[in-house]
Amino acid sequence: MASRSVEDLLREEYFDLLPAITRVTEHLATEIRYHTLPIANSLGRHERLVVSSRIKECGSALEALRRRQEGKTFDQQWSTAYSLTSLRDLAGVRVLGFPQARLKEVDGLLRKQFPAWESDPVRDEDDNILAHKYSGYCSAASARIRAEYQVVSMLTGLFWEVEHSAIYKPSPNLKGIARDLGMQQRSGEVLRALRAFEEEFEGFVLRGEVAE
Amino acid sequence: MRAEVGAKMPTALATKKAILDDAGYAYSFDREIYFSRKDKKAFSVEFIEDHAPEVLEKSIQEPSNTGGWRFYFNTPPAESVRLELESVLSGQPVG
Repeated sequence: MASRSVEDLLREEYFDLLPAITRVTEHLATEIRYHTLPIANSLGRHERLVVSSRIKECGSALEALRRRQEGKTFDQQWSTAYSLTSLRDLAGVRVLGFPQARLKEVDGLLRKQFPAWESDPVRDEDDNILAHKYSGYCSAASARIRAEYQVVSMLTGLFWEVEHSAIYKPSPNLKGIARDLGMQQRSGEVLRALRAFEEEFEGFVLRGEVAE
Repeated sequence: MRAEVGAKMPTALATKKAILDDAGYAYSFDREIYFSRKDKKAFSVEFIEDHAPEVLEKSIQEPSNTGGWRFYFNTPPAESVRLELESVLSGQPVG
């Protein structure tokens, strides 16, 4: 009998891990909602704070692991060398916020609640931070699944969600388009425009030109 | 600091993109590599991102005397990976 492919072994692993991934996602989302509740309850009319969570789907998880290999190709000779537990975002929570001052407040607060979690911010080409990203374990829910939470500005996060749901979710194999050098430039331009929009809006708020 | 919308992109990304375009390299979004069937060379996105434009230019220009595909990766591909990539790049349509 032919030996099983890397992909088949990973699919089996995914469904073995799924109950733990679900537990971790719910645990982390609940913790983050609890800790950010005082901020959520004190928001001004123009301010926003949205906590959302997601479980990485099987196809996305396999594709993410494949994309971590240089050349995006599994070495079928070493089929047992791969594990989905090496992914940091099987369980994910995203906090979207506006304005920046609120984001900083949320980031600082959560940092204190998850001091051992590893920071790995998403940066643009000019080294500006686009999103605060942390990964670690919710040991009360599972010791095997590493989870991730992000704290992102509202418009940037919504752009990523639209980009993901419109393009990459229906066809995960198109994900590699995002790393084309030309596409990276275009994405950078969109993100810079969104940041400028937010800063302009925030300027009105800080100058008191938006009625509470 | 306010971001400048519409600012020009004189960045390393733009320079590398121009070097690859000028040399006739195509992008395979499935494998995330830039390749030239004529030169039989393939550059991983990781290699391109981690090296200066001058290194990229020099690598494109250096003669390929093996007759086979040459892979510019940060970590040389394993044999089975090399064989699969060669097969994909040589003839079959790539993503």
